[in-house]
Amino acid sequence: SLAKSQTIPQPLPSALATARIIEDLGSVSYPDGIQSPKVELNVNAKQGKFRYDRDFLLQFMAICKEKPDSLPPLDAIGLEPADQSFPM
Amino acid sequence: QEVDMQQQAENIRTVFNDPTNFNVKHPLYSPWTLWFDSPATKGRNLPQTPMSSFPQTPLLQTPGAAAAQGWMEDIKRVISFDSVEEFWGLYNNIVPPSQLPQKANYYLFKEGIIPAWEDEANKNGGKWSIQLPKDKNRNNVDRMWLYTMLAAIGETFDPLLSNPDAETPSQSLITGVIVSTRPQFYRLSIWTRIAPTGAGGDDDKLRERIESVGRHFKMNVLGYSDSQKLSGPLATEVEFQSHKDSEKKGKQSGRKIVV
Repeated sequence: SLAKSQTIPQPLPSALATARIIEDLGSVSYPDGIQSPKVELNVNAKQGKFRYDRDFLLQFMAICKEKPDSLPPLDAIGLEPADQSFPM
Repeated sequence: QEVDMQQQAENIRTVFNDPTNFNVKHPLYSPWTLWFDSPATKGRNLPQTPMSSFPQTPLLQTPGAAAAQGWMEDIKRVISFDSVEEFWGLYNNIVPPSQLPQKANYYLFKEGIIPAWEDEANKNGGKWSIQLPKDKNRNNVDRMWLYTMLAAIGETFDPLLSNPDAETPSQSLITGVIVSTRPQFYRLSIWTRIAPTGAGGDDDKLRERIESVGRHFKMNVLGYSDSQKLSGPLATEVEFQSHKDSEKKGKQSGRKIVV
């Protein structure tokens, strides 16, 4: 309700929610030390239909750690780690 | 002109430039949906939760898909995503296969395709799969599943997709990938939209294309060498079977391609 939304401060939209889609991979320059996607995978690429090699994708692992807003609570869908204290 | 281009480049901030205030993201070739099931998601074992707290299984449009509905009620849609950045946000906040309970499955399929044979996109297809003994692969399975997902979302399984000689890029063969945990083994699978039938002619080309997916899976994704023999107790080779052949009983179901 309106009253509720006034008392609970809304979080700022995440960068992920507001970032726009890259339309031309060639327009992006990556910082030193970051490798671009392999060019040969995208020779005939149409707008936004890009293919990415594993080495390029792995570079995001240590950076994109934020839990997506749309990820439901894992226990609500029965998705929980098994008890690891007993060998199976 | 040069100043304009420099200006433009400065306005583009990837996560590598600014991890919290980036303003562009890398779109995937296709949007994907992750599904999950385990004994805990089936029937009454599922904890009571408000219906709004997790995404609903989409309505099934086709008669074939409707036939799969009973089974689909037991599998939960986890999330859909369409960018590299969202994929990693998911990956870094979910349970890896090595920590899943027994008899659990992750299904990562293109959005709009349900992970069932009956779906229009799957019914004429098949799957590459490998079964790995659990005790020897507990430390490998998470990396193998990650690399399988990366090849799927990066669309690098199917080499023909970027064939510069092709006048129009062909449709991707891949519909989804699956990891399954069982008491004694893990299984990884790659589902394809179509499967060779043995008819000759154009079918031979399709078989070559399917085999190249299998070799990429075996060598580049799983990390085995070309000629390496993998079958053994609880283990299989990297093998392909059409869904139609899988449905047949007994010896008739034996037709497989091995790489």
